[in-house]
Amino acid sequence: MSTDKLIDRHDVSDNPMEDLDCSGLLCPLPVYKAAIVLGRLHHGDLLRLITTDPGALEDVPAMARQRGDRLVSVSVADGHQTFILEKGSLQ
Amino acid sequence: MTTTRPRGWLRTDRSLRRFDDVRDLLPDIDNPSPIVRLTRVLSDLDLGLFLKLEWMNPFGSLKDRTAAYLIDGLRDRGELDGKELIEASSGNTAIALAALASLAGTRLTTTIPDGVPEEKKIILRMLGAEVWETPDDLCPADNPKDGAIALARALAASEGGLRFAATEQYENQDNVRAHYQTTGPEIWRQTEGEVRWFVAAYGTTGTIVGAGRFLKDMNPSITVVGVEPEPGHRLPGMKSFKEARVPGIHDPDVIDQTIVVSDESAYRVTKDIWRREALMVGPSTGAVVHAVSEMGAAPGDVIVAMSADSGVKYTSYFEDILGEEGKPQI
Repeated sequence: MSTDKLIDRHDVSDNPMEDLDCSGLLCPLPVYKAAIVLGRLHHGDLLRLITTDPGALEDVPAMARQRGDRLVSVSVADGHQTFILEKGSLQ
Repeated sequence: MTTTRPRGWLRTDRSLRRFDDVRDLLPDIDNPSPIVRLTRVLSDLDLGLFLKLEWMNPFGSLKDRTAAYLIDGLRDRGELDGKELIEASSGNTAIALAALASLAGTRLTTTIPDGVPEEKKIILRMLGAEVWETPDDLCPADNPKDGAIALARALAASEGGLRFAATEQYENQDNVRAHYQTTGPEIWRQTEGEVRWFVAAYGTTGTIVGAGRFLKDMNPSITVVGVEPEPGHRLPGMKSFKEARVPGIHDPDVIDQTIVVSDESAYRVTKDIWRREALMVGPSTGAVVHAVSEMGAAPGDVIVAMSADSGVKYTSYFEDILGEEGKPQI
Protein backbone atom coordinates (compact mmCIF):
# COMPACT_ATOMS: atom_id res chain seq x y z
CA MET A 1 0.00 0.00 0.00
CA SER A 2 1.27 3.42 -0.79
CA THR A 3 0.19 6.81 0.50
CA ASP A 4 1.37 10.10 -0.92
CA LYS A 5 0.90 13.48 0.64
CA LEU A 6 1.74 16.67 -1.18
CA ILE A 7 2.57 19.16 1.54
CA ASP A 8 3.35 22.20 -0.55
CA ARG A 9 2.23 22.99 -4.09
CA HIS A 10 5.21 25.27 -4.68
CA ASP A 11 6.82 23.99 -7.94
CA VAL A 12 10.25 22.50 -7.18
CA SER A 13 10.54 20.10 -10.11
CA ASP A 14 13.61 21.83 -11.58
CA ASN A 15 15.53 22.22 -8.31
CA PRO A 16 18.77 20.22 -7.73
CA MET A 17 18.09 17.07 -5.69
CA GLU A 18 20.32 15.15 -3.29
CA ASP A 19 19.48 11.67 -1.96
CA LEU A 20 19.98 10.36 1.57
CA ASP A 21 19.03 6.77 2.36
CA CYS A 22 18.59 6.22 6.09
CA SER A 23 16.91 2.83 5.81
CA GLY A 24 17.49 0.74 8.90
CA LEU A 25 18.54 3.70 11.04
CA LEU A 26 16.60 4.51 14.19
CA CYS A 27 15.45 7.99 15.10
CA PRO A 28 16.99 10.42 15.70
CA LEU A 29 19.79 9.30 13.34
CA PRO A 30 17.83 10.12 10.15
CA VAL A 31 17.04 13.68 11.27
CA TYR A 32 20.61 14.16 12.48
CA LYS A 33 22.05 13.10 9.12
CA ALA A 34 19.39 15.01 7.18
CA ALA A 35 20.18 18.20 9.09
CA ILE A 36 23.88 17.84 8.19
CA VAL A 37 23.11 17.32 4.50
CA LEU A 38 20.59 20.19 4.45
CA GLY A 39 23.25 22.37 6.04
CA ARG A 40 25.47 21.77 2.99
CA LEU A 41 22.76 22.55 0.43
CA HIS A 42 21.85 25.92 -1.02
CA HIS A 43 18.55 27.71 -0.56
CA GLY A 44 15.96 25.99 -2.79
CA ASP A 45 17.93 22.73 -3.21
CA LEU A 46 16.01 19.52 -2.52
CA LEU A 47 16.76 16.50 -0.35
CA ARG A 48 15.07 13.15 -0.89
CA LEU A 49 15.24 11.37 2.47
CA ILE A 50 14.33 7.70 2.79
CA THR A 51 13.66 6.24 6.24
CA THR A 52 12.19 3.10 7.76
CA ASP A 53 11.70 4.14 11.40
CA PRO A 54 8.04 5.23 11.79
CA GLY A 55 9.22 7.86 14.29
CA ALA A 56 10.57 9.78 11.30
CA LEU A 57 6.99 10.68 10.35
CA GLU A 58 6.93 12.89 13.45
CA ASP A 59 10.60 13.88 13.68
CA VAL A 60 11.30 14.92 10.09
CA PRO A 61 8.44 17.46 9.83
CA ALA A 62 9.42 18.82 13.27
CA MET A 63 13.03 19.16 12.17
CA ALA A 64 11.97 20.97 8.99
CA ARG A 65 9.85 23.41 11.00
CA GLN A 66 12.67 24.09 13.47
CA ARG A 67 15.25 24.62 10.75
CA GLY A 68 13.02 26.68 8.51
CA ASP A 69 13.12 24.16 5.67
CA ARG A 70 10.07 23.22 3.60
CA LEU A 71 8.60 19.72 3.66
CA VAL A 72 7.40 19.33 0.08
CA SER A 73 5.97 15.82 0.20
CA VAL A 74 5.83 12.59 2.19
CA SER A 75 5.08 9.15 0.80
CA VAL A 76 4.83 5.83 2.64
CA ALA A 77 5.20 2.52 0.82
CA ASP A 78 6.45 -0.97 1.74
CA GLY A 79 7.72 0.11 5.14
CA HIS A 80 9.69 3.02 3.73
CA GLN A 81 8.96 6.72 4.16
CA THR A 82 10.20 9.11 1.47
CA PHE A 83 10.42 12.79 2.35
CA ILE A 84 11.17 15.59 -0.11
CA LEU A 85 12.60 18.59 1.71
CA GLU A 86 13.48 21.98 0.27
CA LYS A 87 16.34 23.86 1.88
CA GLY A 88 15.03 27.07 3.44
CA SER A 89 16.61 30.48 3.56
CA LEU A 90 17.02 30.70 7.34
CA GLN A 91 20.07 28.45 7.71
CA MET B 1 79.38 -3.52 30.30
CA THR B 2 75.60 -3.67 30.52
CA THR B 3 73.78 -4.42 33.71
CA THR B 4 70.78 -6.71 33.60
CA ARG B 5 68.02 -5.21 35.66
CA PRO B 6 65.72 -7.56 37.55
CA ARG B 7 62.14 -7.91 36.39
CA GLY B 8 60.01 -5.39 38.24
CA TRP B 9 62.79 -2.83 38.50
CA LEU B 10 61.36 0.66 38.95
CA ARG B 11 57.81 -0.55 38.61
CA THR B 12 54.75 1.25 40.00
CA ASP B 13 55.27 2.44 43.56
CA ARG B 14 52.53 4.77 44.76
CA SER B 15 54.52 5.79 47.82
CA LEU B 16 57.09 7.30 45.45
CA ARG B 17 54.41 8.61 43.04
CA ARG B 18 56.01 6.48 40.32
CA PHE B 19 53.75 4.74 37.82
CA ASP B 20 54.06 2.28 34.95
CA ASP B 21 50.76 3.29 33.39
CA VAL B 22 48.50 6.31 33.69
CA ARG B 23 45.71 3.96 34.82
CA ASP B 24 47.67 3.36 38.03
CA LEU B 25 46.81 6.98 38.88
CA LEU B 26 43.06 6.33 38.95
CA PRO B 27 41.68 7.17 42.39
CA ASP B 28 40.78 4.62 45.03
CA ILE B 29 40.96 4.24 48.79
CA ASP B 30 44.78 4.02 48.66
CA ASN B 31 45.15 6.84 46.13
CA PRO B 32 42.30 9.24 46.95
CA SER B 33 41.64 12.53 45.23
CA PRO B 34 42.52 15.29 47.74
CA ILE B 35 40.04 17.13 49.92
CA VAL B 36 40.88 20.77 50.59
CA ARG B 37 39.23 22.95 53.23
CA LEU B 38 37.65 26.25 52.18
CA THR B 39 38.81 28.83 54.71
CA ARG B 40 37.73 32.08 53.04
CA VAL B 41 34.57 31.44 50.99
CA LEU B 42 31.55 31.02 53.37
CA SER B 43 33.94 31.66 56.29
CA ASP B 44 31.15 33.51 58.15
CA LEU B 45 29.29 30.17 58.54
CA ASP B 46 32.24 28.64 60.44
CA LEU B 47 31.87 25.27 58.71
CA GLY B 48 34.35 22.46 58.22
CA LEU B 49 33.79 22.61 54.47
CA PHE B 50 36.04 20.50 52.25
CA LEU B 51 36.05 20.33 48.48
CA LYS B 52 36.96 16.97 46.98
CA LEU B 53 39.14 17.92 44.05
CA GLU B 54 38.22 15.39 41.39
CA TRP B 55 40.09 17.38 38.77
CA MET B 56 43.30 16.00 40.24
CA ASN B 57 42.37 12.64 38.68
CA PRO B 58 44.44 11.67 35.60
CA PHE B 59 41.83 12.57 32.98
CA GLY B 60 40.63 15.64 34.84
CA SER B 61 37.30 14.90 36.48
CA LEU B 62 35.22 12.68 38.75
CA LYS B 63 34.20 10.77 35.63
CA ASP B 64 37.54 8.96 35.63
CA ARG B 65 36.05 6.67 38.25
CA THR B 66 32.84 6.12 36.29
CA ALA B 67 34.63 5.46 33.00
CA ALA B 68 37.00 2.90 34.51
CA TYR B 69 34.11 0.99 36.08
CA LEU B 70 31.98 1.18 32.91
CA ILE B 71 34.76 -0.32 30.79
CA ASP B 72 35.66 -2.95 33.38
CA GLY B 73 31.98 -3.91 33.60
CA LEU B 74 31.67 -4.33 29.83
CA ARG B 75 34.84 -6.39 29.73
CA ASP B 76 33.83 -8.58 32.67
CA ARG B 77 30.44 -9.31 31.06
CA GLY B 78 32.09 -10.12 27.74
CA GLU B 79 30.30 -7.22 26.01
CA LEU B 80 33.40 -5.29 24.93
CA ASP B 81 34.99 -7.90 22.71
CA GLY B 82 36.35 -6.07 19.68
CA LYS B 83 33.70 -3.33 19.79
CA GLU B 84 33.98 0.42 19.88
CA LEU B 85 32.44 2.33 22.77
CA ILE B 86 29.50 4.69 22.52
CA GLU B 87 28.30 7.09 25.20
CA ALA B 88 26.19 10.23 25.52
CA SER B 89 28.17 12.67 27.61
CA SER B 90 28.49 16.35 28.39
CA GLY B 91 32.22 15.80 27.99
CA ASN B 92 33.90 14.52 31.12
CA THR B 93 32.76 10.91 30.90
CA ALA B 94 33.61 10.95 27.23
CA ILE B 95 37.10 12.34 27.90
CA ALA B 96 37.87 9.60 30.42
CA LEU B 97 36.30 6.93 28.22
CA ALA B 98 38.22 8.12 25.16
CA ALA B 99 41.51 7.96 27.06
CA LEU B 100 40.81 4.54 28.56
CA ALA B 101 39.44 3.24 25.25
CA SER B 102 42.71 4.12 23.53
CA LEU B 103 44.65 2.27 26.20
CA ALA B 104 42.32 -0.71 25.78
CA GLY B 105 42.90 -0.73 22.02
CA THR B 106 39.49 0.54 20.97
CA ARG B 107 37.82 3.87 20.26
CA LEU B 108 34.99 6.05 21.55
CA THR B 109 32.13 7.61 19.61
CA THR B 110 30.34 10.18 21.72
CA THR B 111 27.18 12.21 21.32
CA ILE B 112 27.39 15.47 23.21
CA PRO B 113 24.81 18.21 23.79
CA ASP B 114 24.98 21.40 21.78
CA GLY B 115 26.17 23.72 24.54
CA VAL B 116 29.32 21.83 25.47
CA PRO B 117 32.29 24.20 25.20
CA GLU B 118 34.71 23.93 22.30
CA GLU B 119 37.56 23.08 24.65
CA LYS B 120 35.99 19.73 25.51
CA LYS B 121 35.21 18.86 21.89
CA ILE B 122 38.80 19.48 20.88
CA ILE B 123 40.14 17.45 23.80
CA LEU B 124 37.93 14.54 22.74
CA ARG B 125 39.10 14.70 19.14
CA MET B 126 42.72 14.92 20.31
CA LEU B 127 42.13 11.69 22.22
CA GLY B 128 40.91 10.04 19.03
CA ALA B 129 37.18 10.10 19.74
CA GLU B 130 34.51 10.68 17.11
CA VAL B 131 32.31 13.54 18.33
CA TRP B 132 28.66 13.92 17.31
CA GLU B 133 27.34 17.28 18.44
CA THR B 134 23.67 16.94 19.19
CA PRO B 135 20.97 19.57 19.68
CA ASP B 136 18.97 18.81 22.82
CA ASP B 137 15.75 19.02 20.83
CA LEU B 138 16.97 16.73 18.05
CA CYS B 139 14.29 14.11 18.59
CA PRO B 140 10.92 15.80 19.20
CA ALA B 141 9.18 12.41 19.31
CA ASP B 142 11.37 11.37 22.26
CA ASN B 143 12.37 13.28 25.38
CA PRO B 144 12.79 16.91 24.37
CA LYS B 145 16.01 17.60 26.34
CA ASP B 146 17.87 14.34 25.85
CA GLY B 147 18.81 14.38 22.18
CA ALA B 148 22.36 13.18 22.85
CA ILE B 149 21.12 10.15 24.79
CA ALA B 150 18.59 9.29 22.08
CA LEU B 151 21.24 9.57 19.37
CA ALA B 152 23.70 7.36 21.28
CA ARG B 153 21.02 4.69 21.64
CA ALA B 154 20.19 4.90 17.94
CA LEU B 155 23.85 4.52 17.03
CA ALA B 156 24.26 1.59 19.44
CA ALA B 157 21.31 -0.17 17.78
CA SER B 158 22.63 0.49 14.27
CA GLU B 159 24.68 -1.99 12.23
CA GLY B 160 22.91 -4.83 13.99
CA GLY B 161 24.33 -3.77 17.33
CA LEU B 162 27.66 -5.30 16.29
CA ARG B 163 29.82 -2.18 16.07
CA PHE B 164 29.26 -0.49 19.40
CA ALA B 165 29.24 -1.44 23.05
CA ALA B 166 27.08 1.07 24.91
CA THR B 167 28.42 2.19 28.27
CA GLU B 168 25.03 3.79 29.19
CA GLN B 169 26.21 5.82 32.19
CA TYR B 170 22.65 6.97 32.93
CA GLU B 171 21.34 3.41 33.30
CA ASN B 172 24.41 1.38 34.27
CA GLN B 173 24.85 0.38 37.92
CA ASP B 174 28.62 0.25 37.34
CA ASN B 175 28.43 4.04 37.50
CA VAL B 176 26.92 3.87 41.00
CA ARG B 177 29.32 1.09 42.03
CA ALA B 178 32.32 3.25 41.08
CA HIS B 179 31.36 5.83 43.67
CA TYR B 180 30.15 3.33 46.25
CA GLN B 181 33.50 1.55 46.12
CA THR B 182 35.86 4.52 45.72
CA THR B 183 34.46 8.03 46.35
CA GLY B 184 32.44 7.10 49.43
CA PRO B 185 35.18 5.11 51.19
CA GLU B 186 37.74 7.82 50.40
CA ILE B 187 35.56 10.51 52.00
CA TRP B 188 34.89 8.38 55.05
CA ARG B 189 38.60 7.74 55.55
CA GLN B 190 39.75 11.30 54.73
CA THR B 191 37.34 12.78 57.28
CA GLU B 192 38.08 10.04 59.83
CA GLY B 193 34.36 9.32 59.93
CA GLU B 194 33.47 12.89 60.95
CA VAL B 195 31.66 13.83 57.73
CA ARG B 196 28.06 14.95 58.44
CA TRP B 197 27.01 16.35 55.04
CA PHE B 198 27.73 15.15 51.52
CA VAL B 199 26.89 17.52 48.67
CA ALA B 200 27.01 16.75 44.94
CA ALA B 201 25.45 18.03 41.74
CA TYR B 202 22.78 16.13 39.83
CA GLY B 203 23.96 14.77 36.49
CA THR B 204 23.79 11.03 35.93
CA THR B 205 23.32 10.83 39.76
CA GLY B 206 25.99 8.11 39.90
CA THR B 207 28.12 10.13 42.32
CA ILE B 208 25.42 11.20 44.74
CA VAL B 209 23.69 7.83 44.79
CA GLY B 210 26.88 5.74 45.03
CA ALA B 211 28.92 7.82 47.47
CA GLY B 212 25.80 8.94 49.36
CA ARG B 213 24.66 5.35 49.81
CA PHE B 214 28.08 4.28 51.12
CA LEU B 215 28.24 7.16 53.59
CA LYS B 216 24.71 6.45 54.86
CA ASP B 217 25.65 2.80 55.26
CA MET B 218 28.51 3.95 57.49
CA ASN B 219 26.43 6.54 59.37
CA PRO B 220 22.71 6.86 58.63
CA SER B 221 22.60 10.37 60.13
CA ILE B 222 24.76 11.83 57.33
CA THR B 223 22.73 14.25 55.23
CA VAL B 224 23.02 13.87 51.46
CA VAL B 225 22.25 17.00 49.46
CA GLY B 226 21.65 17.07 45.70
CA VAL B 227 22.22 20.26 43.74
CA GLU B 228 20.01 20.93 40.73
CA PRO B 229 20.28 23.71 38.15
CA GLU B 230 17.34 25.72 36.89
CA PRO B 231 15.72 24.71 33.56
CA GLY B 232 17.60 26.20 30.62
CA HIS B 233 20.79 26.45 32.70
CA ARG B 234 24.36 26.80 31.47
CA LEU B 235 26.10 24.58 34.01
CA PRO B 236 27.92 21.79 32.13
CA GLY B 237 27.52 18.30 33.52
CA MET B 238 24.46 19.19 35.57
CA LYS B 239 20.88 18.16 34.85
CA SER B 240 17.57 19.77 35.75
CA PHE B 241 15.03 17.00 36.13
CA LYS B 242 12.30 19.49 35.29
CA GLU B 243 13.51 19.28 31.69
CA ALA B 244 15.62 16.09 31.46
CA ARG B 245 14.61 12.50 32.07
CA VAL B 246 15.49 11.15 35.51
CA PRO B 247 18.31 8.58 35.03
CA GLY B 248 17.51 4.93 35.63
CA ILE B 249 20.25 4.70 38.27
CA HIS B 250 18.79 7.53 40.37
CA ASP B 251 17.68 6.49 43.84
CA PRO B 252 15.73 9.27 45.60
CA ASP B 253 15.85 7.35 48.90
CA VAL B 254 19.54 8.30 49.22
CA ILE B 255 18.85 12.04 48.89
CA ASP B 256 17.70 14.08 51.89
CA GLN B 257 17.54 17.53 50.31
CA THR B 258 17.59 19.04 46.84
CA ILE B 259 18.69 22.64 46.40
CA VAL B 260 18.09 24.47 43.13
CA VAL B 261 20.83 26.93 42.16
CA SER B 262 20.71 29.63 39.50
CA ASP B 263 23.45 30.13 36.92
CA GLU B 264 24.10 33.59 38.34
CA SER B 265 24.72 32.23 41.85
CA ALA B 266 26.85 29.35 40.57
CA TYR B 267 29.14 31.53 38.45
CA ARG B 268 29.42 34.21 41.15
CA VAL B 269 30.57 31.64 43.72
CA THR B 270 32.86 29.97 41.16
CA LYS B 271 34.63 33.27 40.61
CA ASP B 272 34.83 33.78 44.36
CA ILE B 273 36.47 30.35 44.81
CA TRP B 274 39.05 31.11 42.09
CA ARG B 275 39.97 34.47 43.58
CA ARG B 276 39.76 33.84 47.34
CA GLU B 277 40.75 30.18 47.58
CA ALA B 278 42.98 29.98 44.46
CA LEU B 279 41.14 26.83 43.41
CA MET B 280 40.48 26.80 39.65
CA VAL B 281 37.17 24.94 39.82
CA GLY B 282 34.49 24.45 37.20
CA PRO B 283 31.02 26.04 37.31
CA SER B 284 29.31 23.06 38.95
CA THR B 285 31.59 23.50 41.97
CA GLY B 286 30.27 27.03 42.37
CA ALA B 287 26.73 25.63 42.30
CA VAL B 288 27.56 23.02 44.92
CA VAL B 289 29.25 25.52 47.26
CA HIS B 290 26.36 27.95 46.89
CA ALA B 291 24.01 25.12 47.91
CA VAL B 292 26.11 24.58 51.05
CA SER B 293 25.26 28.12 52.12
CA GLU B 294 21.54 27.32 51.95
CA MET B 295 21.27 23.78 53.32
CA GLY B 296 21.20 24.57 57.04
CA ALA B 297 24.53 23.20 58.28
CA ALA B 298 25.55 24.18 61.82
CA PRO B 299 28.89 25.77 62.76
CA GLY B 300 31.60 23.13 63.00
CA ASP B 301 29.79 20.59 60.81
CA VAL B 302 32.11 18.63 58.55
CA ILE B 303 30.91 18.86 54.95
CA VAL B 304 32.38 17.27 51.84
CA ALA B 305 31.28 18.85 48.56
CA MET B 306 32.25 17.43 45.20
CA SER B 307 34.38 19.57 42.90
CA ALA B 308 33.67 17.54 39.77
CA ASP B 309 36.19 19.18 37.46
CA SER B 310 38.40 22.20 36.97
CA GLY B 311 37.52 25.39 35.19
CA VAL B 312 40.18 25.18 32.51
CA LYS B 313 37.73 23.47 30.14
CA TYR B 314 35.23 26.32 30.51
CA THR B 315 37.29 29.40 29.77
CA SER B 316 34.94 30.37 26.95
CA TYR B 317 32.04 30.37 29.45
CA PHE B 318 34.05 32.44 31.92
CA GLU B 319 34.87 34.94 29.21
CA ASP B 320 31.13 35.58 28.91
CA ILE B 321 30.71 36.33 32.63
CA LEU B 322 33.88 38.40 32.89
CA GLY B 323 32.94 40.95 30.25
CA GLU B 324 35.59 43.67 30.41
CA GLU B 325 36.75 42.67 33.89
CA GLY B 326 40.52 42.22 34.18
CA LYS B 327 41.32 44.23 31.08
CA PRO B 328 43.19 47.53 31.38
CA GLN B 329 40.71 50.36 32.00
CA ILE B 330 42.35 53.09 29.95
